[in-house]
Amino acid sequence: MQDDLGLIQRLQKQDSKALSVIYDKYSGALYGVILRICKNEEQAQDLLQETFLKIWQKSNQYDPKKGKIFTWAYRIAKNIALNAQRRPYKLIQNEDLSVYENEETHESEIDMLQLNGSLKQLEPHHQKALQLVYFNGLTHREAHEEMNVPLGTFKSYIKQALKKLREAYQKELFLLWVIIEKMI
Amino acid sequence: MDRNSIKDTGILEQYLLGELSDSQRIEVENILKEDLELRNYFNKIEDDFEKLAMENAITPPSGIKDSLLNSIENSITKEEKVIPISKKSNRQFYLAIASGFALLFMLTSGWLFNQWQNSKNTVEIVQNEATDLRNQIQTLENSFNETNSWYQAINNPNTVQLVLRGNQISPNSNAITYVNHTEKTVILNPKGLTKLDDDKTYQMWADVDGEMIDMGIIPSNKEMIAMKYIDNAESINITIEPAGGNDHPTVEQLISNVLL
Repeated sequence: MQDDLGLIQRLQKQDSKALSVIYDKYSGALYGVILRICKNEEQAQDLLQETFLKIWQKSNQYDPKKGKIFTWAYRIAKNIALNAQRRPYKLIQNEDLSVYENEETHESEIDMLQLNGSLKQLEPHHQKALQLVYFNGLTHREAHEEMNVPLGTFKSYIKQALKKLREAYQKELFLLWVIIEKMI
Repeated sequence: MDRNSIKDTGILEQYLLGELSDSQRIEVENILKEDLELRNYFNKIEDDFEKLAMENAITPPSGIKDSLLNSIENSITKEEKVIPISKKSNRQFYLAIASGFALLFMLTSGWLFNQWQNSKNTVEIVQNEATDLRNQIQTLENSFNETNSWYQAINNPNTVQLVLRGNQISPNSNAITYVNHTEKTVILNPKGLTKLDDDKTYQMWADVDGEMIDMGIIPSNKEMIAMKYIDNAESINITIEPAGGNDHPTVEQLISNVLL
């Protein structure tokens, strides 16, 4: 799958329509990542906008030879979300002047944050491994401690999980192909 | 690192997730640039992760896109509108300062040029005056020296004053000679001699044993003149001769003589 190089060139020439197309294509995927890291809708929306502003401003630093634009955009989104976690976000003040974090949104978001798609077909430890590094922004080191397995084992979890995912995708593609064949 | 160990270490996954240090990242990028098979393998991982993200996408509220595009449009129009104006006004500001300085320099240099010309004229006038004064002093000095030398000569105790009176040929003429036999000088004051035509001149002669010896032509425009001193002269004579003088005196034109 190749990215549209013309679209990227237009983005790098600061064509706002190109940014609009890229936003339509990737904002959902990036928002899914950001929201799963910061678990706060209001903050995640700010961070999503911050992410696309950075994509716009730093578009000349993106080199298509080094990888897909989504990979580059994902790294930006993840960094912005992780950095935001390190600084205290808006606290809500109540009448007795004490402050607490607004946790109501967390409850309602739990359903939304459930992982979907082919990932669900994987074994739980494979799911967990991918979730930690990809959607929670943990490093391999942090994640293997979190799962309480050796780093080498954790790395093989990731590898196996990706392999299974690929097989699942190919199965879907095959089914799709069969359906299309039948329709013709 | 060979190809398989790179696949096994999971470093490509970490690279994709942005977990590597700068030096590791550059190393991986260089390896990917050169190894096509690894590059394809990495592309597959990218695709897997992208699909994973797409399957778990959450649609953000539509307002975010509008606000994003608005803030970008604002920054574009700001860049387009504000910067050129400020550049222009800056340039105008500097131009105004520069032209102010230019005008100031022009005026001051005009004034200085004028002053310089005035000074030059004044110096020229002063120099001319000084030259005139120096010339006057020179003239006065010369005149004084001359007068002084005549005075010294005349006032010398050994000097004898002799008056030469005109005869019937030139009855109104007279001249005064000062003869000093010690220093052997003869000085003549020819002022009293009647004016002659341009083709004639007075000439002075000394009589030595009956022979007339030339003592010199008498210029008409001098007050005092030194003549030749002739030894053993018995008398001094003045004749009228053709302009330029004569070898022998024209005795018929003798106008005055005096015995020594």
